Amino acid sequence: MKIVRLLAFLIMLALVMILTGCIDDTSNDASGEDEAEADTDVEEPETEEGEEVVNIGFSGPLSGSAAFYGERSLNGMKMAVDEINEEGFEVDGQTYKLNLVPLDDKYLPNETASNAKRLLQENDTPIIYSPHSGGIKAMQVFNEEEDFIIGGYSSEPGITEEGNDLTVRIPPRYDGYMEPFTEYSMERYGEKIAALPTSSQYGKDWSENLLPYWEEQGGEVVYDSSIDFSKETDFFTTVTNALEEDPDVLFIGGPSEPTAKLASQARELGFEGGFIVMDQAKLDEMRKVVEEETYELFEGSVGVTPLVDSEYPGTDEFVEKYRAEHEEDPGSEAGFHYVSLYVFMEAMKEAGTVDEPAEIRAHMQDGLEQLPEDKQVYTIPEIGEDGGFNSGISMAAVEDGEIVPIEVEE
Amino acid sequence: MEILTQQLFNGLTIGSVYSLVALGLTLVYGILHIPNFAHGALYMLGAYVTLTSMLLWDFNYWLAISISIIVVGLLGVLMERLVFNPLKNAPPIHDKIAAIGILLFLEAFAQLMWGADYRSMSTPYGEVVNIFGTTVTMQRVLINVGAVIVMITLYLFLKKTIVGSTIIAMAQNRKGAHLVGINTNKVAMLTFLISGALAAIAASLSAPINLVFPGMGHLVILKAFVIIILGGMGSIPGAIVGGYILGFSESLGATYISNDYKDIIAFVLLIIILSFKPQGLFSKEGV
Repeated sequence: MKIVRLLAFLIMLALVMILTGCIDDTSNDASGEDEAEADTDVEEPETEEGEEVVNIGFSGPLSGSAAFYGERSLNGMKMAVDEINEEGFEVDGQTYKLNLVPLDDKYLPNETASNAKRLLQENDTPIIYSPHSGGIKAMQVFNEEEDFIIGGYSSEPGITEEGNDLTVRIPPRYDGYMEPFTEYSMERYGEKIAALPTSSQYGKDWSENLLPYWEEQGGEVVYDSSIDFSKETDFFTTVTNALEEDPDVLFIGGPSEPTAKLASQARELGFEGGFIVMDQAKLDEMRKVVEEETYELFEGSVGVTPLVDSEYPGTDEFVEKYRAEHEEDPGSEAGFHYVSLYVFMEAMKEAGTVDEPAEIRAHMQDGLEQLPEDKQVYTIPEIGEDGGFNSGISMAAVEDGEIVPIEVEE
Repeated sequence: MEILTQQLFNGLTIGSVYSLVALGLTLVYGILHIPNFAHGALYMLGAYVTLTSMLLWDFNYWLAISISIIVVGLLGVLMERLVFNPLKNAPPIHDKIAAIGILLFLEAFAQLMWGADYRSMSTPYGEVVNIFGTTVTMQRVLINVGAVIVMITLYLFLKKTIVGSTIIAMAQNRKGAHLVGINTNKVAMLTFLISGALAAIAASLSAPINLVFPGMGHLVILKAFVIIILGGMGSIPGAIVGGYILGFSESLGATYISNDYKDIIAFVLLIIILSFKPQGLFSKEGV
């Protein structure tokens, strides 16, 4: 009996292995990346004699439901580190190389905090990155005291509003999108909006900013609800109700994939207006989910410009390199992490120190100015008093089935 | 009027998926008295196996579903053999703990194998059809029709075949069934096979209207438990009726009361029904 059981088990195991074997070798665009699981190992840099190492910390989701997001962020940093380490960089006559130390926090703020402590004790990191606002806020409790810079990848304005001296906010604040998104959609489609964003805290924050602004501009909110992507099997019910109010514009958002499904179901139900897409979802990733060659389905969407369609001086080179390494298009998280690491390195050079965070922070503006043009995956003209990069809003709309960048007046 | 028919159709669609999942759950409960928390994981694996065979071997949708039914069905049998059968003389709490363990194991396994990201399953039946102002897609029609066919087949199997009758016999009285010569081990395995197959069908039909990801079992499993409590633990008509009740109450509740409260509506309904019929709508007389 034992043998039979063992045999049955092995057969099942073999079957499953075969099934999963090469799912990624197929042409499914939506399947995204999977080679990433092995990618979280980072090699220590080779140092020659007289060279020293600066450790850079990272705490983000490398397992669990948001793992793909953390891994993409980390990929951007890894590319920057590899490039910088080819030559090393010189601070005050001493050559340094970077060593990236990534730790997994499963998207949990408390884990981020303990990871940060560990990075400080074991690796003495002057800079620690985290790609989620919860983790950033958890580290802000003690980062000034323990003296390290937070490299915060979150468009939540709150992280730089508390007056934390050692926090750098890398992406633009999301509240800057309200005005141009509203203006574009209202002009092109009309004044009635229905809101159906994800029911996460971030989705609610967006709603609370966007909807009052929309009404201020003379618009009307005809439906205000949210969708829990982790609980709904089918979005038809909610979308039907939203469309019953006959909106001109739908406000949607959340992770790219379910957002794309939501948009395509709205089209199935006969919706012909435009979409305002929250910055969490990326238009290029959405297109891959619906398996279309063009953006026709999302005609009239406004959202953040996909990195691959951006036109900064260093974008093309970065995109090409990223595609070669990871066989997929990079998102903005990879691009911003890449460029920010260069900025930190330049700031260290200008500050003349690698282990005094306050000095490095004080020279960030000089670092931004020193950033070579071919590394400008995003052009960041200045860093605000509060520590936020003012890179300006980059938005795009879908017109005639294509992504068209929209100029935003500052 | 239009919105009512549209929402009735939406409720029917979602109710069909719920019913199929609840059926598998209630079968296992009726016969073995195990609350199989891992049923949601079987549902998730069903979707992944279908998706994988479609992508990997370019199988057509129906062939992929058949493979999924076999694989997940056998996985159900394996679960029974390796985990639940050895525990049959243990206190009931051990079954529950084991079921949760299997759930966690299978979810972690899926993430390791297929990765954490969302995948989409394309369907050959994507076209949109308009019937009297109601928008339906072929896939949704398929879900509804498919569910009904599966339910009828299951009913005929249980009532009209000898093998099916052994399942009912065992649900009514395990010892009695054993005494008249029914091989209870075989029946237990068969029940898990059917339960896994039902999960695979439900997942494969509904995956094209949503996405495939390791946590997708959570979408349905909690509601499936509500349904079988509502319909009476172990009752087959209860699972079917309960599934549709929940589907309609969600879609109509969202329309006429509030979208934000539609889950509350479903659970209030559960409380009301249980206050009048504490055993559930179709409590245990004849499966």
